[in-house]
Amino acid sequence: MSMKRMLTIMTVAYGAMALMPLFVGDIRFIMHILIMCLIWAVVASCWDVIMGFAGIFSFGQVAFFVIGAYASAILAVNFGVPSVLAIVLAGLLTAGMGVLVGLPCLKLAGPYVALVTFGVHMTLMPLLRGDIGKAIGSGGSVGILTIPPVNIFGFTFSSANLVPTFYLALVMTVACSLIIVVVIKSYWGTAFLALKDSEDFAVSLGVSAFKYKLMVFALTSFLTGIVGAFYGHYIGMISTRMLELDLFCTLMVMLVMGGIGHYPGAILGAIITVTANELLSPLGSYRAVTMGALVVILVLALPNGVMGFWNKPESAVQEG
Amino acid sequence: MAISEDTLFLIYEIIDVIISGLTNGSVYALMAVGLTLVYGVTKAFNFAYGSFFNLGGYFAWILINFVGLVGGYFSIFLAVIPLMFVVGYGLEKTMVAPLRKRDEWEMKVMMLTLGLALFMDNLYAVVFGGRVKSLPPILEGTLEIGNLIFSYQDIMIFFLSITGILLFGWMLNNTRIGMAVQAVAQNPQGAKIVGIPKNRIFAATFAISTAMVGFGGILLSQKYFISPMSGGAIMIKSWVITAFGGMGSIRGGLVAAFIIGMLEAFVGWTFGMSYGMIALFVLLLTTLAIRPQGLMGRG
Repeated sequence: MSMKRMLTIMTVAYGAMALMPLFVGDIRFIMHILIMCLIWAVVASCWDVIMGFAGIFSFGQVAFFVIGAYASAILAVNFGVPSVLAIVLAGLLTAGMGVLVGLPCLKLAGPYVALVTFGVHMTLMPLLRGDIGKAIGSGGSVGILTIPPVNIFGFTFSSANLVPTFYLALVMTVACSLIIVVVIKSYWGTAFLALKDSEDFAVSLGVSAFKYKLMVFALTSFLTGIVGAFYGHYIGMISTRMLELDLFCTLMVMLVMGGIGHYPGAILGAIITVTANELLSPLGSYRAVTMGALVVILVLALPNGVMGFWNKPESAVQEG
Repeated sequence: MAISEDTLFLIYEIIDVIISGLTNGSVYALMAVGLTLVYGVTKAFNFAYGSFFNLGGYFAWILINFVGLVGGYFSIFLAVIPLMFVVGYGLEKTMVAPLRKRDEWEMKVMMLTLGLALFMDNLYAVVFGGRVKSLPPILEGTLEIGNLIFSYQDIMIFFLSITGILLFGWMLNNTRIGMAVQAVAQNPQGAKIVGIPKNRIFAATFAISTAMVGFGGILLSQKYFISPMSGGAIMIKSWVITAFGGMGSIRGGLVAAFIIGMLEAFVGWTFGMSYGMIALFVLLLTTLAIRPQGLMGRG
C-alpha cells in the first residue's frame, strides 16, 4: 500500500477520533473507550509490524505490554520516579527484554519462536505472582493498586480529567503510528519484506537478517512498553489478570480484523474490536466465548481483515 | 551399615517423587507423541491442544455422572476416544483444511486454534461452572511392598499410557493408514502422486492426536481435577516437550516427556509447584540455544 494511502486512512481515523470529545466529552464511558482504542491501536500495530511485516511469529506482545506497565508502576511507586521518566525508563527496559527474548528466537524456526515468546507470556504470571515478583514489588496476586497518574509540569492526566488525558494519548499514539509508518516505508521495511518473501535470497543480497530482526524486536517492544506504562498510569492499577488468554485473544482479534500485514488495518481493527468488546460486556461470562468464536470466524471469513475491502482486486490475484 | 530414620524417610520421599514424575511423564509422552505427529505430518500448530485434553475429561465426567460407570473405565474409553476422533476430524475438515490454501496459513492456523482454545475454555466455564470436577479413580487401593506404597491408580495410568503409545507406534509402522501417514510426513507431493488421499490423511492425523490427548485427559483428570482454564498449562507443557524433544521426532518426544515429568516432579518437590513452569521454560531455552532443532530433531 502506498504511503499516501496509509497516511490518508490514519488521518481519517485519528482525525475523527480527535473530534469526538467535542460531542461526547462529557460522557466518561465513551471517553474511556476512546482512550483504550488509542492504547490498543499502538499495541496491535506493533504486533502487526513484527508478525505481518517482519514475519516473526512473536506471541509475546501482551507480555511486553505487561512488563512495561509493571516496570513503570514499580519505578513510580517504590522509587518515587516522576511518571514521565518512569514511562521512558519502562520503555527502554522493555526494549531490553525484547532484545533478550529476540536473541534466542533469531536462530529458531517459525513455530519455535511462537513457543518461546508464548512461553515468556506464560512464565510471567507465576514470576510476578511468586516470591521473585513480590521481592521486586509486583504486589503478588493482588497487583499494584496505587499507581500515580501521569504528571507533566504539575498538570495531572488522570481519569478525573479524561479529555486532556485523551489528547495526551492521541499525541502518543499518532507519534507511535508515524514511527511505524516511517519504518515500514523505509529501507528497513523493504528489508523485512525481502526477508519474509525469501530469507535465503535476501541474505545473499547482503540484507542482514540478524540485525533487522533484532531491531524490530527492540522497536516494537519499546513502543509496546511505553504504551503499557501509560496504560498503568492511566488506569491506576495493574494485576496479572492482564496475562490471561482473554486479553491475548482480544489483541489477536484486532489484528485479524484489521488484516495481518496490511498496516493501518491494525489501527482500524483495534478501534472496531475495543468498541465491540465494550458493547459485548453485558454478555458477562459469554463475552470471552463470543470473542473466541469471533477469532475463528474472522480467520476463516476475512483473510485480509477490513483492509481486504480496500484491496480486493490485489488479494484476489494473490490467492489465485 | 545402619541407615538412620531420617535418611530412610528421605529415600521414601524421593521414590514418591520419582513415581509421580514417571506417571505424569507417561501421560505427557502420550500427549506429546500426538502433538509431534500432527506437526510432523500436517505442519499445523495446534494451540487448542490443552482444551482437547479437558474435553476428554469433561466427556468422561458427563458419561460417569449421567450414564454411570457401566463396565468400569473400559466403557468410558470405548465411548470417549472415538468421540474425540470424530470431533478432531470434523474440526480439521471445517477449520484447518480451508486455511491450507492461503498464504501464511501456518500463522493463521495458530491464531485460529488459539481462538478455539479461548472459545472452548470459556464454554467449559459457562457450561460446567468454574469449580473443578473430579473423576473417580480408575482403580482403588494401594500396593505395599515393605514400606513403599504404590497406588494402583498410578500404576494403571502408567500402564495404560505406555500401552497407548506402543499401540500407536505399532499402528504407524504396520498398518496401511500408518504407513500412509508416514509417507505424507516425508513427502506430501510424492504421497499424492502414488495415490494417497493427502487431505484425508491430514484430517485423520489431526483426529488421532485429538483422540490421544483426550485419552491423556481422562487418565490425568482422575488423578488431579478437571478445571475449565487448565488447558493452557497442558498445551504449553505438550509444546515444550515437543520442542525440547525435537519437533516431528516421536522418539525425542518420548524421552523429553519423561525428562520433563521428572524435572517437574523434583522442582515441585524442592521449590514448590509454581516454579515448575519457570524450570520448564529455562530448560527449553537452554536446549534451544545449544540445539535449535531440539534433542532428537533432524536439522
